[in-house]
Amino acid sequence: MDKTADLLPGTLDMLILKAVSLKPLHGYGVLLRIRQISRDALEIPQGSLYPALYRLEHQDLIAAEWGVSENNRRAKFYTLTPAGRRRLRAETAGWNRLASAIAAALNTTSEEV
Amino acid sequence: MLGRIRSVFRALTRRRDFEEGMTDELRFHMEELTDDLVRAGAPREEAARRARMELGSLENVKGDCREARGLHWFDELLRELRYAARLLRKTPGLTVTALLTLAVCLGANLTIFAVIDTVLLRPLPFPEPGRLVTVFNTYPKAGVERDGSSLTNYYERRGHIPAFASVAIYRYGKAIIGEAGSTEREQIARVSADFFATVGAGPAMGRAFTEQETTFQTDGVAILTDAYWRTRFNADPHAIGRQIRVDGLPKTVIGVLPAGFRFLSSEASLYFPLASRPEDRTPLQRHSGGNTIQMIARLKPGATLAQAQSQIDTQNANLEVDDPQAKMMADAGFRSIVTPLHADHVAAVRPTLLLLQAGALILLLIGAVNLANLLLIRASGRGKELAVRQALGANRWHVAGEAVVETSLLTLAGGLLGLAVGACGIRLLGGMAAGRLPLGSHVTLDARSALAALAASLALGVVLAAPIVWFNLRRHLGHALQSVSRGGTSGRAAQILRHSFVVSQIALAFMLLAGAGLLGLSLKRAMGVSPGFRYDHILTGQVSLPYKNYPDGAGRVAFVETAMARIGRLPGVLSAGVISNVPLSGNSGKSAAAVKGRIPRPGESPRGHYSYWVGGDYFGALGLSLRAGRFLTAADSRKAERVCVVDEDFARYYWPDSSPLGQRVFFGSEQGSDAEAFTVVGVAGSVKQAGLTDDTAQGAVYYPYNFRDDGDIFLVVRTGLPPEALGLTLQKAVRQIDPDLPVTDLRSMETRIADSLATRRSPALLAGLFSGIALLLTAIGSYGVLSYAVAQRRREIGVRMALGARPQQIRSQFFSLAMRLLAGGTALGVIGAWLAGRAMQTVLFHVPALNLAILAAAAGVMGVVSVAACLWPSHRAARISPMEALAEE
Repeated sequence: MDKTADLLPGTLDMLILKAVSLKPLHGYGVLLRIRQISRDALEIPQGSLYPALYRLEHQDLIAAEWGVSENNRRAKFYTLTPAGRRRLRAETAGWNRLASAIAAALNTTSEEV
Repeated sequence: MLGRIRSVFRALTRRRDFEEGMTDELRFHMEELTDDLVRAGAPREEAARRARMELGSLENVKGDCREARGLHWFDELLRELRYAARLLRKTPGLTVTALLTLAVCLGANLTIFAVIDTVLLRPLPFPEPGRLVTVFNTYPKAGVERDGSSLTNYYERRGHIPAFASVAIYRYGKAIIGEAGSTEREQIARVSADFFATVGAGPAMGRAFTEQETTFQTDGVAILTDAYWRTRFNADPHAIGRQIRVDGLPKTVIGVLPAGFRFLSSEASLYFPLASRPEDRTPLQRHSGGNTIQMIARLKPGATLAQAQSQIDTQNANLEVDDPQAKMMADAGFRSIVTPLHADHVAAVRPTLLLLQAGALILLLIGAVNLANLLLIRASGRGKELAVRQALGANRWHVAGEAVVETSLLTLAGGLLGLAVGACGIRLLGGMAAGRLPLGSHVTLDARSALAALAASLALGVVLAAPIVWFNLRRHLGHALQSVSRGGTSGRAAQILRHSFVVSQIALAFMLLAGAGLLGLSLKRAMGVSPGFRYDHILTGQVSLPYKNYPDGAGRVAFVETAMARIGRLPGVLSAGVISNVPLSGNSGKSAAAVKGRIPRPGESPRGHYSYWVGGDYFGALGLSLRAGRFLTAADSRKAERVCVVDEDFARYYWPDSSPLGQRVFFGSEQGSDAEAFTVVGVAGSVKQAGLTDDTAQGAVYYPYNFRDDGDIFLVVRTGLPPEALGLTLQKAVRQIDPDLPVTDLRSMETRIADSLATRRSPALLAGLFSGIALLLTAIGSYGVLSYAVAQRRREIGVRMALGARPQQIRSQFFSLAMRLLAGGTALGVIGAWLAGRAMQTVLFHVPALNLAILAAAAGVMGVVSVAACLWPSHRAARISPMEALAEE
């Protein structure tokens, strides 16, 4: 079976926020970082990455600034805004609640019913 | 939220930066990805190909990014606008018609609204204007609706009405300003000390009047308006303390009012204290307002009009307890009314203005219906195209949006043109006596009205799109595709809609036409009223003899004698006279007269009559008719013998069955001693004093001028020349007697009569203009709908003619359709005209709400216009060639 998992709808924004919360990143960097922190388990559809970045910037959750990349190319770097940080915290908490609830539900055995 | 708006705004205003940034960013991504793939061992070309595949179509990504920014809405709108503009350009006839219709209809509304806004809506330019009220005495049963307030009223009320924060009085007047030899007559106002505090705006420089300055001898002070200070004092910063001569007496300037200060519609350029003697303020003078002194008051915060009214009523009741006149005043229905200042000031013109706005709105409605119809017809013409597009997957919202964008573009452009028309209209209205409306001198198109007009045109665009959207979306696609190709009849519902539009248009235009007819007829009837004298070839002008140079009656009589002799010798002068108040002067103040030996009938109240003081050959100069006895002559003013002439209304009221000659009349409401009585020596015809449309038989008494205690007189000259040509000669003649005496308000009697009808003429003219436009619009509407019907049924007509139908039959078929629409519209229009006539009753003069002649005339005009509009389309229908019609498809 393929070791990469499909993204659940709505999780892309959360992953992007998480990625840029660690360190300012350009778009390609976000892609690599998500791959890295998910230990290659999550593959971002590249066509959706940029619209998502633009949407988050539009919502004031991330801020963009032009800079120079590690191999000296002009690149646009994204950082988390305070609003983005709050959103990430809220989404993380929400996700954890959901995940543990689903895990608990799925781990239920017939004796516990 | 704000951040998002900023983000959209930034992206829009720096659109190129946005696009370039996006391209750069995506290119960077591709290069990095390619590099990584090469590093992983792929050949560069293969790596680049894979990178492109991973990212997907660049244009799609960009589109998604723009959408994430909310930019796609703007792109879409721009595309739609371009498309709409192209469509509008493709049908120039329709576009130009629509734009002109909108420009005229919106312009007319804007013009009238600007007047309404200035006169009725905009609050008075004082702090908390809602608290300003006016108080006036009324004696309705004596025929005196409005008598201002007396000095006594003022001094009695000041500080005694808890609901009033302050009370003030004012009196307009004229004064001669300047040194001997270079005098000018200026409009002035005399005001009580607390006047400026009451209105809430006082001198910008210097101070207001004090209480001491409202007593004779200590009233030598003046306050200038900003305009007067600028023009006559060259904006001298040290104007305070300078002396000016007013009616020959020195006055010290103590203040200058702020720029733009204007009390209601007053033209006063100087303010003086309203000074009086203690004997002018006694209870005996309580009812001597005479409508020259007016009272204003400022309500205390939280106090209501009703509280103020009841406090005034209570005070009046208490004061009249020991007043010997109380019974008589009660019989006359005496009351003091408290009413909001602004509403009271504009009350007379309110119904007319609202009526005109209603007319303009109807015009707009006709225009909108016209546009809706024309656009609907065009939408039907594009039915097939739209059906094809929808069949190919065009989204319904998109189709609807397209219509909205197109009509809004049209109405917005029309609205802009309408602003221009409105601006012209306001200037035009300035020439049509709008300036003489209360508060009407500064009618302007302000940014607020302009923005409201543009918003309204945008809203109109959306409304106009509604029938088109409905028509486009409700149609069954397959049917639409077929029905056009088969050349059959269009949707029944759309046809009914079109026809009902035409019917309502005809009805509205009919209503407007009938309304204009009523106003016109009313004006004609008013113009047909005889003023009671021969008004051709009369020149009138006003002279005020200042108290300083003419302190007593002898001096004033001497002036009148000299003036009459001198003016009588001028070439072209037939006769000349003087009178205290000329007919239609705008002053219709009345005073009481008592008849010797008369015991009032039970329930009868004393009456107000016009009182005139005449000198020279006034009766001859005015051309009054003599009913009995003789007129007063110049000689009567030289004698001590007291004689008078009454008019026929007066005679009929007091002596219906006996001769008035030899009867005794007293000036004032009391019967005095015989020595004070005036013997009636003649009866003259009645004169319209207040206006041609004033129907009340008020009654008038003419006394000799030497019994007059006032220096304001009108010169009345009958001439064989055109009266205006005599103006300069008359002024020169007066200056030769007294170089300091200007003659003002020089107008011929014909001009006075015309001016007195301005408030009837201008609305009638405007209504006529509106209905003319409405007729044109209706003609365009009927023509458009009928032409469309002919074009639609071209094939059917062709078939019928091929089968033997005669052109005559085809023509009459379309003609009868037009006539049915006309009949329906007229029937509805008659109902509308009746309702309009009823709403107009207050502004009509001797015209009933439903006048058959006017209805018939309106129907006739409407019929001629409709027939004319239908002739060409019917004619064209009859000339369709069967061969061509059938060969076309």
